[in-house]
Amino acid sequence: MPELRKDPIIGRWVIIATERARRPDQFEGHKEQDDHSACPFCEGREANTPPEIYAIRPHNSTRNGPGWDLRVVPSIAPFLRVEGDLDRRGNGLYDVMNGLGAHEVVIETNQHIANMADLSEEQITKVLNCYSDRIIDLEKDNRLKYVLVFKNYGKGSGGGAIRHSRSQLIATPVNPKRVKEELAGSRQYYEYHERCVFCDLIKQELAQKERIIAEFDGFVAIAPFAARFPFETWILPKKHCCDYTCLDADSRRHLAHVLKTVLSKLKTGLNDPDYNYIIHTAPFRRQKIGYWKTIDQDYHWHIEIMPRLSKVAGFEWGTGFYICPLPPEETAKFLREVKV
Amino acid sequence: MAELRRDPVVSRWVIVDTEHPSKPEDFEYEQYIPAGGLCPFCYGNEFMTPPEISCFRDPSTGANTPGWQVRVVANKFPALQIEGELDRRGLGIYDMSNGIGAHEVLVESPYHNKDIPELLNGEIESYLKMCCVRAADLKRDSRFKYIMVFRNYGPAAGASLEHPHTQLVALPMVPKNALEEIHGSRDYYNYRERCIFCDIIRQEVSDKARVILENKYFISFCPFVSRFPFEIMIMPKQHSGYFCHMSGDEISALAQIMKDTLGKLKKVFENLSYNYIIHSAPINGEADVEYYHWHIEIMPKLTQVAGFEWGTGFYLDPTSPELAAQYLKAVKE
Repeated sequence: MPELRKDPIIGRWVIIATERARRPDQFEGHKEQDDHSACPFCEGREANTPPEIYAIRPHNSTRNGPGWDLRVVPSIAPFLRVEGDLDRRGNGLYDVMNGLGAHEVVIETNQHIANMADLSEEQITKVLNCYSDRIIDLEKDNRLKYVLVFKNYGKGSGGGAIRHSRSQLIATPVNPKRVKEELAGSRQYYEYHERCVFCDLIKQELAQKERIIAEFDGFVAIAPFAARFPFETWILPKKHCCDYTCLDADSRRHLAHVLKTVLSKLKTGLNDPDYNYIIHTAPFRRQKIGYWKTIDQDYHWHIEIMPRLSKVAGFEWGTGFYICPLPPEETAKFLREVKV
Repeated sequence: MAELRRDPVVSRWVIVDTEHPSKPEDFEYEQYIPAGGLCPFCYGNEFMTPPEISCFRDPSTGANTPGWQVRVVANKFPALQIEGELDRRGLGIYDMSNGIGAHEVLVESPYHNKDIPELLNGEIESYLKMCCVRAADLKRDSRFKYIMVFRNYGPAAGASLEHPHTQLVALPMVPKNALEEIHGSRDYYNYRERCIFCDIIRQEVSDKARVILENKYFISFCPFVSRFPFEIMIMPKQHSGYFCHMSGDEISALAQIMKDTLGKLKKVFENLSYNYIIHSAPINGEADVEYYHWHIEIMPKLTQVAGFEWGTGFYLDPTSPELAAQYLKAVKE
């Protein structure tokens, strides 16, 4: 019998379709090759990207020259730009404003390595530090309200043809809908229970164990109860905090270990699938006093990893209901057993 | 500078690239060329599907044999199961229920290689009529709260079989996207005492910039807040909550506008995969049809939805709907 399960945070129903369940080996990853001599993100080709905003590089190296460890550059085709005004206006019954914001690319390594799973833990720690630094810097711009950190790996995830490990940051002048839904859902839960819904979720998962993928020093990786996609994985900090930037240096090292473990399990177990990940963190909380009220208590930052193994089709677009052909308990069991 | 536009119904923001818009030739999309082969939906293979639930066929032919025009069968791999009780229950902080619902497949025509633009008007009318018949029938089951009609055409749109088909799913709860539209249109109605979709049609007709086609009963246009390049909306001009209440004349008009609109889209993008979905009001007391207005959303598969969209619910549209409408209008039939 198929099951309907409800996401406890935003109230989205998913169908766990046991009748059409597929075994892990029936999902196919596939990897195309690319021409690495044309990659604009490799060391020595700094002139092929816009000038860097941020870099981790030794003191004796020069900006926009070789010798770096990690670089952040503006997107070459940004959808949102930092220059200009928002200019909110109406057009009949429609609302419009200018595309103000920021769009940055984090080049995670100077080597032509495609999958973050293949970077060292030390290098991943640098990437995680950089996210924090960039979010803190973007927060200084009063026009911006939210920063989404995300990664598109592989063509099927919208990651393009260049196979050089990178992630992106987009800062938006309004709080995005998906984020608002999570904020509203966790606030509602908090109002009633006076507890964080994510903390409760972690407690239940640790007690039930069947959806745990990995657990390590302050972090837990789970297959969410109401997963939308096969092998969807969330990484949550056990220590409550609404904001990613509150992580200390040790915690970021531990997170790097968990992230590398999960990404390597996906790579090994599923034949290097395309994936997206996103970091959901609290918006900048600098508006009207009292506006955010309990957000420090009620929201809990986390990472969502979504392997792209099945196509999102008409049904999902139309309803917002997802059909997940693999129960998350099986996702977790399979990934727990993959040795990395 | 790009523009941010807000959907007036569900309040979703979309980033429209008005500065360096992508033209049709800029899209590299997965080409869909049917390969043929053994097909459970072709004449003579009726035994390969579950038995038919409903069918328009030559009266001299028997059930589950050739001679039909439109055929509806249960999905062989249903996402939901029709028998049983919902049995809502909690599991710690989680909520769940049994997967009760209906999942039907509607084979649109006997032709393996004919998409809607290649069918005759009468054939499309039979197909649409059958969608109405099935929706009206499923509506009678009081366990169901919503009926979703959708079509995946081509592998990039998630179709696993080539033979063109549409699916119907009856759900025991109103899905999130439908709820958002209903809440948005209800709020608008409470304030203005008008249907927001009727207002959208009025504004589109007077703006003209996004309209593709219009006939007596229907209008097709690229929505002001398109999530995807070349997204298209088809709406009935008369206010109506349920598509299955269409009259015969309206069905003919819809067949015509679908054939022409999809024909234009497929001339601009050959071998395109696309989805469309019919948004209709919830059933069995879940909404008031005063403020909801049924419509069809067509989503061409030209781009990939990536991390940013998943993370934020923001969409990036590289081609403004005004430009998309221009290209579509310019196609000669």
